[in-house]
Amino acid sequence: MNEYKYTEPILTVKDLVVKFNLRGQVLTAVRGISMELFKGESLAIVGESGSGKSVFTKTFIGLLDNNGWIANGSIEYGGYDLTDFKTERDWLKVRGKRIAMVFQDPMTSLNPLKTVGKQVQEAFTLHNKVSREEAKRRTVELLGDVGIPEPERRYKQYPHEFSGGMRQRVVIAIAMACVPEILICDEPTTALDVTIQAQILDLIKRLQARYGLTVVYITHDLGVVANVADRIAVMYAGDIVEIGRSEEVFYDPRHPYTWALLSSLPQLGVKGEDLLAIQGTPPNLFQEIKGDAFAPRNPQALKVDFVARPPYFEVTPTHKARTWLLDPRAPHLAPPIHIENLRTLRRGGVDRAK
Amino acid sequence: MVRYILGRLGRALITMFLVLSIVFLLMRLLPVDGYFEGRSDLMSDTVKNVILKDLGLLDPWYKQLFDFWRKLLLEGDLGKSIVIRKNVPVVRLIWPKAKMSFEFGIIALVIQQVFGLSMGVLMARYKGKFADKMGNLYILLINALPAAVYYLAIQLYLSSVLKLPMLYDPMNAASRILPILCLSLGGIASNAMWMRRYMVDQMNMDYIRLARAKGMTSSQVAFRHVMRNAFIPMAQSLPTAVLFTISGSLYVESLFSIPGLGGLLIQSIQRQDNTMVQAMVLLYSVISISGLLLGDIAMMICDPRIKLTKKGESR
Repeated sequence: MNEYKYTEPILTVKDLVVKFNLRGQVLTAVRGISMELFKGESLAIVGESGSGKSVFTKTFIGLLDNNGWIANGSIEYGGYDLTDFKTERDWLKVRGKRIAMVFQDPMTSLNPLKTVGKQVQEAFTLHNKVSREEAKRRTVELLGDVGIPEPERRYKQYPHEFSGGMRQRVVIAIAMACVPEILICDEPTTALDVTIQAQILDLIKRLQARYGLTVVYITHDLGVVANVADRIAVMYAGDIVEIGRSEEVFYDPRHPYTWALLSSLPQLGVKGEDLLAIQGTPPNLFQEIKGDAFAPRNPQALKVDFVARPPYFEVTPTHKARTWLLDPRAPHLAPPIHIENLRTLRRGGVDRAK
Repeated sequence: MVRYILGRLGRALITMFLVLSIVFLLMRLLPVDGYFEGRSDLMSDTVKNVILKDLGLLDPWYKQLFDFWRKLLLEGDLGKSIVIRKNVPVVRLIWPKAKMSFEFGIIALVIQQVFGLSMGVLMARYKGKFADKMGNLYILLINALPAAVYYLAIQLYLSSVLKLPMLYDPMNAASRILPILCLSLGGIASNAMWMRRYMVDQMNMDYIRLARAKGMTSSQVAFRHVMRNAFIPMAQSLPTAVLFTISGSLYVESLFSIPGLGGLLIQSIQRQDNTMVQAMVLLYSVISISGLLLGDIAMMICDPRIKLTKKGESR
């Protein structure tokens, strides 16, 4: 049960700290993340806005904003330590070539003044030395592969002639042009309507299977996560507070923040009752955070949560959480009722499936 | 597209007709002293009436207007100058001056575009760095100083430093350098300012982030994506700028004594040379209206999103 089929690490992050300089003040956006990304898996990074999930993945391709820098830690990938990369030349060994990214808003992700074909072809010729005709042929093929009907005709059209879902397919085609090893999808479906969302996720899954991609999803939509992710990392205030296989995080969450996050899912609420909302506001990242970042918002926080930062405690070999609740000395706290409901829901589901 | 342009052209013609008619009629409201070449008090009323009658000014206004348009359209006759150079057709007066202004203006315009745009591009690329700061300083100085001050400084000091003539001399090509410099400085500043601004706007767009994520170098991104997109808003004003070079610059031309078109309109108004004023107003309205039209067409060519004809089958 606890064996995870993906075991070969492709990218290893150790103690990563990312800081930003905002008008002379220093903000710590990522506070010492360590994790491994396994070859072939889909990892979903979830967390609220400002939890640092985008910033974290941007460090993989060196696209931090100019006022941000990696203050500590290492990112090992393909024999390189990405934190050593300084120049654009260094980054171009990896960026767009072995690690590609799909951004949130397809409406603005394409250059409005270039034909769609040219924009895909541009990505293609950057990484493949082929003749123009060959590049064009492959581009049309690629457009077809991502599910764009009549790719020949669409090749010559401009982004404004495409719908949102079609544009996101084009963005995915651009990312796939170089057949990357890792595909980072930064909220790939947030700007799309629900039916299109499912199609796009499906497309990514298909491409993943076909090319053996490792996919990182960044999202705050737990519905998306449930659909696609093998593993889930829950981020809060610049740190991964809990990471594990999807079913472990969904049905046996251990960190109070994960509890709160799942409890606020509308699907779990009782009709007529107020939806559960997490009290308070996220911590100020300009200040140093002491102890567990979530403690001030957690009504059941332990004393130790305010004093010392919890280490990771292993629940299973694939599931760990940063909370003192998992310390053998901690009092036993039952997860909130909603989480219990979730488990029952699942058991029901499983029973029905039988 | 052809239909659109024809429609625009039709409207442009109507606008020109109205502008010219209104100006023509307004001119009729002016006192008539201008027609007597400053000898108004020496002439008897009979003589004055003969002069006015000869010019057709005693006819009712609608007949005058009709005659004006008839001559203009059927004979291509804009009339003869009354005061400035009596009985010389205005076209013959305006044409050589316009050519002179155009010669200076078009060179200055090319310099403004080439230097202004590249300066803007550099400033945007090194935003916040030394080059950007120097560029901003230049733009600030040019805009803050009255043009007359640096024109004079150029004429007085730069001419002696560089050993260049202070006044325009048709036989000496070097005498063109300083006036062209004066004509270019302001345009370089504004072109640089707008280009920088549009570049910076474009650089913050999502698609630039995607272009970088594709693995393009920052200069590839700048050339293939940012510059072209930033140039589009500039393209719209280009035709108007080209056309207006023929109107010349009042101040530079008088400073360097260039026989251009610069002061002619003001001179004609002051001296009540009505036919000259009419011809000049016609010229200016043709320039501005066709400039706008050409600007829109230029936009349409550069920007595929703009469809001026019926809605296409998009989406």
